[in-house]
Amino acid sequence: MTPMRPRILVIDDDTALAEMIGIVLRAEGFEATMCADGDQALAAFRSAQPDVVLLDVMLPGMDGTQVCRLVREESNVSIIMLTAKSDTVDVVKGLESGADDYVVKPFKPKELVARIRARLRHTQEAVAEQLTVGDLEIDVTGHRVSRGGEPISLTPLEFDLLVALARKPWQVFSREVLLERVWGYRHSADTRLVNVHVQRLRSKIEHDPENPEIVLTVRGVGYRAGVAPQP
Amino acid sequence: MTRSPLRLLRRAVRAWRTSLRVKVIGSTIAVALVALVLVGTVMSATIRDGIFDQRVNTLLLESSRSASIAQSTFNASTASNGTQVQQLLNDMMSALQPGGSSDHDIFLWRSLEAGPASISVNDISTAPERGSTISDRLRAAVVGGGDEQHWQSVAIPVAGGTEPGVIVGSTVEVPVAGTFELYFLYSLAPEQQTLTFIQQVLAISSVLLVGLLGAVTWLVTRQVVRPITQAASVAERLADGHLDERLEVRGHDEVATLGSSFNAMAASLQDQIEQLAALSDVQRRFVSDVSHELRTPLTTVRMASDLIYDSRATLPPALGRSAELLAMQLDRFQSLLDDLLEISRFDAGAAILDAERHDVRALVEHTVDGMTPLSELKGVPVLVDLGEREATADIDQVRVERILRNLVANAIEHADGTVVEVTVRADHRAVAVRVRDHGVGLTREQATHVFDRFWRGDPARARTTGGTGLGLSIAQEDALLHGGRLEAWGRPQHGAAFMLTLPRRAGMPLTSSPMTITGSNVEKAAAFLASVGSAPTGGSHGPATIPDLADPEEQP
Repeated sequence: MTPMRPRILVIDDDTALAEMIGIVLRAEGFEATMCADGDQALAAFRSAQPDVVLLDVMLPGMDGTQVCRLVREESNVSIIMLTAKSDTVDVVKGLESGADDYVVKPFKPKELVARIRARLRHTQEAVAEQLTVGDLEIDVTGHRVSRGGEPISLTPLEFDLLVALARKPWQVFSREVLLERVWGYRHSADTRLVNVHVQRLRSKIEHDPENPEIVLTVRGVGYRAGVAPQP
Repeated sequence: MTRSPLRLLRRAVRAWRTSLRVKVIGSTIAVALVALVLVGTVMSATIRDGIFDQRVNTLLLESSRSASIAQSTFNASTASNGTQVQQLLNDMMSALQPGGSSDHDIFLWRSLEAGPASISVNDISTAPERGSTISDRLRAAVVGGGDEQHWQSVAIPVAGGTEPGVIVGSTVEVPVAGTFELYFLYSLAPEQQTLTFIQQVLAISSVLLVGLLGAVTWLVTRQVVRPITQAASVAERLADGHLDERLEVRGHDEVATLGSSFNAMAASLQDQIEQLAALSDVQRRFVSDVSHELRTPLTTVRMASDLIYDSRATLPPALGRSAELLAMQLDRFQSLLDDLLEISRFDAGAAILDAERHDVRALVEHTVDGMTPLSELKGVPVLVDLGEREATADIDQVRVERILRNLVANAIEHADGTVVEVTVRADHRAVAVRVRDHGVGLTREQATHVFDRFWRGDPARARTTGGTGLGLSIAQEDALLHGGRLEAWGRPQHGAAFMLTLPRRAGMPLTSSPMTITGSNVEKAAAFLASVGSAPTGGSHGPATIPDLADPEEQP
């Protein structure tokens, strides 16, 4: 949409790594801003207005998951966690604090760039489209979701997830397919990403997240959009 | 209906086997019953004999007195003709039975042995119908015994049966008529009644005693068994990991001692386990921290190396090759780090199984497909036999794929250009995947060590795919995490086989495997090799095709 180069905020206390990431990102045509301290992360975010935030989990001062939560409170910006731990608990904690995706250290430059591009991808899509699922209206072009005229604020990733399901309400999507469509993973990856984000999406769009009517679980297979359109 | 007593019996047997209390109460009652029956029998026999002897003695005395009275009356009599004698006898009869009560019956019979009498006198008795109770033997004994008394136990017929009695006989001399036999028939019915009553009392008190004994045993065993069952349930809770569980100790008896010893043991166990847990926690955190601390610089180095590697075409040849080596060894370093972290996770018990129902056959196909570049590079065809039967199982896809990748890569690496067979078989309880190569093989001794960490078999078996030496250890841990197993088999110059067996449902214990590890479809492999040798077009399976170097790129 904008001719401007995508802005990436890198929040990492390891200056060598941050610098290296900066080099790689600039080589790929991104604009990179650095921040080395968790306590200053929020201020850096406000001034940089980035399109994507790369956030290290282990930070001096404020912890990465806390930063993530604070950023999420005021913005739907895409957040990718950089984590050295692939243990379930840490990953899920990161995702639950609002991260869209995560990259496990050590990562390859191409991998990191692919993840960032996947998060930026939706800004390039511009097909006029209007969808309805349940009692929700989705304006795909304008990136807006509303219920009875009331707008609902979703992160780009949650929006993509909802649109992917709503476009084909008759189809059941496996977690692997969703990972490919929404996250852009070409090979099988962590299906926990899907579970956590479906929970988050439900908490925003369902009347009762415990008894979902819009994003339904198909046991043993995956998810699909609710068929009955009227509440 | 016919089955229920059998079932009851089976239940009783099970109760006997499983319950100490049932056993104790049962044996107590059984022993008590036997003892009581013995004692009761002896007692009632003794009582019976005592009563009988005493009564008989009394009766003998009484009858002897009656007989002597009769004799002296006869002696004093002046009767001289038949009528008078008859009268005398009749009088005697009423004299001997005062009041005519039926206390006893009297028989006065003319002796058989006596010679023909000068007068005729009738035999008389108070109960002629019971005359049959007097046996000929007794009569003979009485007649032949002179003045002595003779007696015999008899059964007296009464309405609706018989009752015990004693008959006492002696002889009397009747004037003119000669020798007469005098019999007294006494009924022992009162004594029999007394005896019956005593036996009843004995039986009833025995039953009461047994019941009481049972109740007492129940109480006693309850006191003993309850602490035992409590200890058992507490021990079970302890085993389940509730280390704070303790027995309630009351009093100072043996049971209380058992309880306090038990608690002391539990406390010491808890201490040691907590110590070990703390230690392992420290170690796990250390490994995790080290790996984390290593990862950040490694990421930087890695990215830098990748940048240099990407522009190696522009570098002088020596630097370009260095960049390649750097990138390659960084890959190896990273997989080593990953494997170390994975192993440390298993060691810490922190590995979690994320099991879902998956098709193992599809996973095997997918994995083998992914191995195409390696199999082509090594010129090793991979033959896949998925079997007839569907093979879904509750598995952690990531882990099982990692095991399979490891086994297949390992087999390709050691196949020395011969065929690698991947076979899948399933039965209703388990799914098995066997990966067999026909390369240099393993000795039996080597086969037992392949899962050891950092174990390298034959130094001649060079590692070209950059294995870390932890792959098979991790694979085995992954298999164990599923409740499955991973086995190795080998024979020098004949190849090696690895077989993964997984239970089809999570938590299902593994008892057998749907196939044997030593099997190999050698004929099939030979035939395949022959066809490959004549026409290098390969089989229908993608990964089994002969390397086609024109198109080495891109696998699905």
